[in-house]
Order: sequence, then C-alpha cells, then structure tokens
Amino acid sequence: MIATLLLVALLAPVLASGLCLLMPRPGAVLAVVRTGGLILGAWLASLACVAFKAGALYGAGGWLYMDPLSAFHALVLAVVYAASSVYADIYFQAELADGSFGLEQARRFGSLWFGALAAMTMVLVSGNLGLMWVGMEATTLITAFLICVHVRPLALEAMWKYLVVCSVGVAFAFVGTILIGASAQKLNLNAYELLLWTRLRGSAASLDPAFMKLAFVFLLVGYGTKAGLAPMHNWLPDAHSQAPAPVSALFSGFMLNAGLYCIMRCLPLVEGALGGSGWAMHLLIVMGCISIVVAAAFIAFQHDSKRLLAYSSVEHMGIIALGTGLGGAGVFAALWHTLNHALCKPLAFFAAGRLGQVYGSHDLRQMAGSLRKTPWWGAGLFGSLLALIGVAPFAIFMSELQILKAAANARAFWAMGIFLAATCIVFVGVLRHAIEAAWGESPVEPQVENAGRASQALVLGGLGILLLLGLWLPGPLSRAIEQAAAVVRGG
Amino acid sequence: MGNLIDGVTALLLITNLMLLGSSFLSSCIRIVALQGVAVGLLPILMHERGPLWRPLLLGVAVMILKGGVFPFVLSRAMREADVRREVEPFVGATLSIVCGVLALMLSMWLAARLGLSAIAPGTLIVPAGLATMLIGLFVIASRRKAVTQVLGYIVMENGIFALGVALAGGIPLLVELGILLDAFVAVFIMSIATYHINREFDHIDVDQLNKLKG
Repeated sequence: MIATLLLVALLAPVLASGLCLLMPRPGAVLAVVRTGGLILGAWLASLACVAFKAGALYGAGGWLYMDPLSAFHALVLAVVYAASSVYADIYFQAELADGSFGLEQARRFGSLWFGALAAMTMVLVSGNLGLMWVGMEATTLITAFLICVHVRPLALEAMWKYLVVCSVGVAFAFVGTILIGASAQKLNLNAYELLLWTRLRGSAASLDPAFMKLAFVFLLVGYGTKAGLAPMHNWLPDAHSQAPAPVSALFSGFMLNAGLYCIMRCLPLVEGALGGSGWAMHLLIVMGCISIVVAAAFIAFQHDSKRLLAYSSVEHMGIIALGTGLGGAGVFAALWHTLNHALCKPLAFFAAGRLGQVYGSHDLRQMAGSLRKTPWWGAGLFGSLLALIGVAPFAIFMSELQILKAAANARAFWAMGIFLAATCIVFVGVLRHAIEAAWGESPVEPQVENAGRASQALVLGGLGILLLLGLWLPGPLSRAIEQAAAVVRGG
Repeated sequence: MGNLIDGVTALLLITNLMLLGSSFLSSCIRIVALQGVAVGLLPILMHERGPLWRPLLLGVAVMILKGGVFPFVLSRAMREADVRREVEPFVGATLSIVCGVLALMLSMWLAARLGLSAIAPGTLIVPAGLATMLIGLFVIASRRKAVTQVLGYIVMENGIFALGVALAGGIPLLVELGILLDAFVAVFIMSIATYHINREFDHIDVDQLNKLKG
C-alpha cells in the first residue's frame, strides 16, 4: 500500500511528461504544467505529512524509503515545484504573446519539467544509495536542456558547462558510493542489501572507518558540485543566468538542496563509522565557509540580477553546509534555513525573470525604479532581496541567527567570524543594488502591464510566509524539522 | 580466469595510452569502443558466486552500449560537425602519454597506500580503474573538441565501472542498469548538444565557449 503511494509519486510525473508531448498547442502545454505542478506538489506534500506522522515509510523491501529527512525535503520540493509551475505559466505566456515560445519549445519544456520532478523525487524516495545516485545523475541530464529551452549561443555554452562539470562531479560521488559498499565488506551483505541505507545505518559502527573517510571525501566533492559548493560552483552562475526564470527557480529552490540532501544522507553513516569523531562535520564546516566567502566576493561586484541571485545561492548553500557541520542545534537551523531559502530564492528569480522580460534586460541598473513602474514584481524583487540578505524579521534572519548561536555553542569562533564578515559584505553589496533597482532612475521605459492575480498571489504568499515564519514557527513544522534533524545527527 | 583478467586489465591500460597518443577522432572513437568491450568482460570474468546470468546480462549490455551504440552516436556527431582531428590540444600527444604513465604510477601508489588493492587480491584492476578514471579526467581537461570531451567522459565512466566491479562486486543489478542508462542518456545528450553547438557556432571547440564570466 505504502509502496504504491511512493511509486505513484515517482511515476505520475513520467505520465505527465508524456502528456505534454501530446498537447496540440503551447498554451495547452502550459495549462498541463500549471495544473500538473499543483496536483503533483500536493501529492508529494501529503505523502511527506504521512511520513512525518508514521516516522518512516517503507516499500519494496526498503528500496523505497521515506524518513523524516527525505519527507522534509519532499515538502520543500513540493512547495518550490508547485509555485514554479504556476509561475512558468505566467512567464511563458509573455513569450507566447511575442511568438518566441513555439510548440516545439513548449513540448520540450513541459516534458523535461515533469521529468525533472520524477528524477528529484527518485533521489528523495530511494532507500538504496546507488539508486539515489542514479536519480541525482538523472536530474543533471534531464535539466540540461531546460537551460536552453531557447537554443541560443550563450545558453548552449552554459548548458555544456553544466553538463560536463556536473556529470564529472557526480561521477566522483559514485566512486564514494562504491567505497561505502566496499567498507561494508565485513558485514557480508548480499547484493540486495549492500547499499541499502537502513541496513548500513543499523550497523554503521562496524563499517571500515578508513574507507568511509575516503568515501566521504568523494561524496562531498561529487554531491557538493551539484549543490554548488565552492570551489566546484563554476557551472552555477552561468546555468542560472541563462536558464528561463522558472528553471532557475527550481534549480536554486530545490536542485541544489538535493545535492546537500545526499550529503546529509551519508553523514550519519560516516560519523557512525568514525565513532562520532566529528571529522566529516569539520569538513562540511570548511566547505561551507569557503562557499560563503567566495560568494560574498562575487556578489559585491555583480550587476546581472540573475547572476547575483545565483551567487547568493552559493552563499546560502554554504550557510546550510556550515550549520549541518556544526551539529546539534546547528542541524535544526540548517534545515530550517533550507526551507526559508527555498521559499525566498524562487520568488526572487520569479521577480527578476518577469522584470527582465518587461525591461528587456537582467541588468539591475536597467531595472531601476521597478517599485514605481511595476509595483507587484518590483516589490517582490525588493522584498525577497531584503529577506535574502538577512533583514529582520524575515525567517532567513532567524535561521541565520540560530546558526550563529550554534557556532558559538560549538566554540567555532573562526567560522562565526567568517560567516559574519561575509554576510556583512553581502548585505551592503546587495542592499545598494536593491535600493537602486527599487527607486533609481532607469534609462529604459518598461512595457508596463498589470500583474495578474496569480502573480499577486505568488508575491504576497512568498513574502507573507517568510514574514510569518520569522515571527512564529508553528509547532508541527518545528517538530517535523526536529525529526529530520535527528536523522542527520544519527541519534 | 586469472590470466584473462590480467589480459583485460592490460587492454584497459593500453587503450588509455593509445587514446592519449592519437589525434584522429575516428581512431579515438574506435579505441574507446575497444575499451568499452574490455570493461564489459570484467563482470563476467570476475564472477564468483551466485547465478551467472546477472553478470552476463550486465556485461553484454555494457558491450553493446559502449562497444556499439556510443561509437555510432559519436561518429555521427563527428560527421555532422565535419571534424576529423583534434588539432592542437592543450597538451600534445607525447606529453599526454607521459602524463598517462604518471597517472598510472599515482594510481598504483594510491591503491597501495589506501589499502584498496586488498579488496581484489591478485589483480591490478583497482589501480587500473583508478588510472583510467584519472586519464578520462585528463582528456576532458586537455582537449578542445566537444566530441573528445565526451570520449573522456566515457573513459572516466569505464574506470569507475571497473572500480565498481572490483571493489563492490555485489552492486545490485538494478543499480548497475540504472547507471548504464544514465551513461547512455549522458552520451546521447552530449552529442545532441554537440550538434547544436556546431550549428550555432560553426565549430565544436569548447574552449571558445568562454563568454560567460564572473
């Protein structure tokens, strides 16, 4: 029964993907994307709620598996995917009007869009580390052509870079997965059980520690590439800036988190094998700090709105890695930050994409005065930028504060210093751009049009929820995050 | 069986060095196809317990894909782009071979140092797999043409596959087939991308795709 529910979540997107290929008009494809995205998102979210209540869902002998950690990420995926699907309709309607979004592009977009959901769901519901890897590699391959829905030279360049860097990176993660298998030799598992997470978790203490250390280095580099952790982040700003805005939103809102999810999944195995020495956690802290610093350096000089947001994603992935590495309350804060970032970043990409269409450029200097001329999306961009740089009382500020607290508790003062310094640089750098984009004088006169009800709902909903979560974290959500954090801590 | 395994391992290493020394794309594609067949033999030869049909199925699937389908797809991409040679790679043929030998030595040392060889005793598969992986990476980094980069990706994949067979002999068939499917889709997509790159840019020199910065 449970296995069927999980399988439906996995296979329904594949069906929807096929359906998109049969649609006769681009508008019909967009309608399928919108309704399908909402329905599948709701399905995934309710599945996650069931998993929270039950503790964990098993199916197919542990090959299908959803524990609180994957359920939490499924919840994030559901929200990001549903919102991005609704937005995709808004975004491409504008292109439909000027004729650049034909049937071929629409079908390609629709089928790959649902395919991406299937691959990401597979990452989350696989109880087998090998299948999880297969899903991760599939997300790279399926989303590659989403970057060039419109085949243009720059988009092709970004796509090629993405394809090569990420498939090579993820191949490293596979070596790590093999090494996990090799470290379990003493357990004498049969092929069927060899890479099952539940099985390995149960006997983590008897895994070979030397192999597990080596495995974690490979896993961190491999999945870290996909998560956009510096210095493996090169593909990220290019892919995000060239992809259509809904795709960038899905990338930043969830695909990067999927990479971190895989690392979090392996963390308790490694720490279990090492007897909780904190070696792997330290590595995560270092990677997190490097990412935060690199991102801050690039954000300070960025004028392209989508590249700026992409580097901000590198920063936030670094913050999540840092929080996870700190352990204890840091893991809770990191997961909460995952949710906050996933609510905020897509909204920022939505606004940047829409303003880009209206102003004909993604340069923030061209978009100046957007708050006056296009009030809804202008407010969306300004509000989400403020939230992203950690302005109180938005939720991101609260989760960052908790990570700082965790760093102080763990006596990781150097990490705390780096984190504070870098976020200050980002704060000043982005605020300057945000104020100019909101109130400045633009050389370009935008083609203003009224934002529809769906746009208003996205902006209001996104900012409203961020504000609400900053002021008050509901009990059930807090308990769910705590459950997920317990899985990472390996308690 | 031991001799056969050694033979296949040697074939793996020889094809690596041949690839590094060759600049004609068509012969590069043939060399990588040969390596694909060699790698496909590994699971069958290394088989110890359990039913034989699993490694047989896997091995045959690998040989068909890497020995037949990939070369076909890549040859087509090469013909469409009308590119025959890897002209002036960043690292020349002689130096490339030296690098290949260095990679092999490094892998031997690594395998011994990390105690990896103990897992498949009596064979050189672990260092050979590591070396193949490194050389694949080297090809990706040091060649200009998109097609050669795809070849590098396949070589790297071959190395990892060999490592997988040696280190965790018992990877479930479903996972192995999933990995193979991913590799297939990857090569397929990369060759489509090559086609588009050739059409938009009139060349497939990926080092000239350098407009996106900062």
